[in-house]
Amino acid sequence: MTKLTPAEAAAELNRLFAEEVEASIRYLHLVNAVKGLDRVLVEPILREGVRETLEHADVIAKKIRALGHVPKLDIQLSCPPRAVGAREALRIALTFEEAALEAYQDVLRRVEGDVPLEEFIRSQIAVESEHVAELKQLLVE
Amino acid sequence: MTIASRIVRRIRDEPGVHWVAKQDGVSLEIWKAFDQNVVSHSAAHHLMAIDELMRRLGYARVSDVARTLNITRGSVSVSLQPLKDAGLVVQDENRHLRLSPQGQSLVDAIRTKRLVMTRLLSEFFGVDAIHAELDACKMEHLLSNATAQRLVSFLRFIDAHGPEIEQFRRDWAVHDANCTHQPESCASCDAVCLADTVAAAPPSSESET
Repeated sequence: MTKLTPAEAAAELNRLFAEEVEASIRYLHLVNAVKGLDRVLVEPILREGVRETLEHADVIAKKIRALGHVPKLDIQLSCPPRAVGAREALRIALTFEEAALEAYQDVLRRVEGDVPLEEFIRSQIAVESEHVAELKQLLVE
Repeated sequence: MTIASRIVRRIRDEPGVHWVAKQDGVSLEIWKAFDQNVVSHSAAHHLMAIDELMRRLGYARVSDVARTLNITRGSVSVSLQPLKDAGLVVQDENRHLRLSPQGQSLVDAIRTKRLVMTRLLSEFFGVDAIHAELDACKMEHLLSNATAQRLVSFLRFIDAHGPEIEQFRRDWAVHDANCTHQPESCASCDAVCLADTVAAAPPSSESET
């Protein structure tokens, strides 16, 4: 496969940047949407989600800058003002974490041949896979 | 009695319309019902994107929908959940998406409503093509089937009466040009000139700026 140009690589990374920033905002919304005693259970998990997704976004932004580009953020987000329980909050988190994992897998296929970028994406896939597995564990009946 | 209060009185008696009593009268709560609708504006676009991908590629995945709508996969996945729960979208074991018969029927109806609205706004009311398309897009998922049926009926009528409709439009243009904008001598206006009110209003959406 032909190696991507810096602009093409930056475009792929911008997609991941948007996924991570959006996920962090969703986590932040979920932290404040969980009501009742459930809140005690899941607040630390969701707050950790906010921190980690922002950290990932920052790492991706640095990669984009290293390619000589400025990160582009294009998100459209609407979180309804609806209270949720712990289980539903985790289920929603699993939905967007799985989507982020698939986005990384998708990008991995596109950056084949660009060894440093491939390695970076692989390491992110490992981390994201762990998140997804953890959330699935928490949701086991 | 103003036109608005006449309309409010009429709608008030319609079944299924939720009202909230206030000190100064009654407040229409229809806009809240729009927000609670399963098929929001965003949902309508997700459904139509799946339909378009199925027609074009023969399959639709979350990534395809995300690229079509130019949004993140996360956003698509979260938005699809209520549509799956409502039985409008089905995801198979290969994570391919398709519309259920109910979802397909809804998409067909939304597409028809958009087409009818676009045609009526542009061809009959003389709205420019861009605004006609944008406004039809905003209304397509909100129009009731009952209203859509009447609009289709009207469209059939104007299509079948070309010369008379042309004459009607010419008469309308003359009538418009002759309007004095004096509410007291107008059959349509009460205290204020409706045409002036609309003309003086700030743009209600980005498409008007």
